[in-house]
Amino acid sequence: MNKHTKIAFMVAPILAVIGYIAADYYVEDQAQEDKVVQLIPLGDCDVIYQTCVLKSGDFEVNVFDKDNLTTVNSTFPLDSATLFLVDENNQATAYPLGMIQSPYYWHTETNLRGLVASAGQSYKLRLVLNIKGGSYIAEFYTHTN
Amino acid sequence: MEKKTTYWQENLRLITICLVIWFIVSFGFGLLLVEPLNEFRLGGYKLGFWFAQQGSIYVFVGLIFWYGYKMNKLDKKYQAEDES
Repeated sequence: MNKHTKIAFMVAPILAVIGYIAADYYVEDQAQEDKVVQLIPLGDCDVIYQTCVLKSGDFEVNVFDKDNLTTVNSTFPLDSATLFLVDENNQATAYPLGMIQSPYYWHTETNLRGLVASAGQSYKLRLVLNIKGGSYIAEFYTHTN
Repeated sequence: MEKKTTYWQENLRLITICLVIWFIVSFGFGLLLVEPLNEFRLGGYKLGFWFAQQGSIYVFVGLIFWYGYKMNKLDKKYQAEDES
């Protein structure tokens, strides 16, 4: 091994470390940009019978209604969550959800149970979840079985 | 003195080429062009991911030996010129 190869072997790790730091800065800047990701319902969604799961990659959200409290349970901690009930005229009513003890659980009181009380009824819902500067959104129907 | 300057200029040119290749392979293929390269696969891995994980390191090691080889040739060339 000649002297130039030896020097190159000594310089290469320094360049690698500089590259690692520069790449970290680049990726960090990208991660801070706001991103909007759409959640897709997994199979049939029935909020009343607690079988409504929305998914995007590793992120999953369970939406269910119990005692007139509509609850969102996610696999990652959320910064905020808003549920919209959308009527037949496409008019949305916003329900900002409040955190229950941990940022994995959010709920609010809604009249959703009354709107889809009978079997066969369905209702359009929208969900906006904010997490680390990005947003997860979903538009889906709850269908009571 | 002039020979030393030329030797140094050739050395710098070689270093610049190495750094450009280093940048293209690591930042270009591993970060900036990762999405289009991920359309292709190499040994079951997405190509952009492969460059970020392994490919760039293989190229770095290759560059070290190539630089050593070229510098060796440069040394011999200027030694021969000095002797003549």
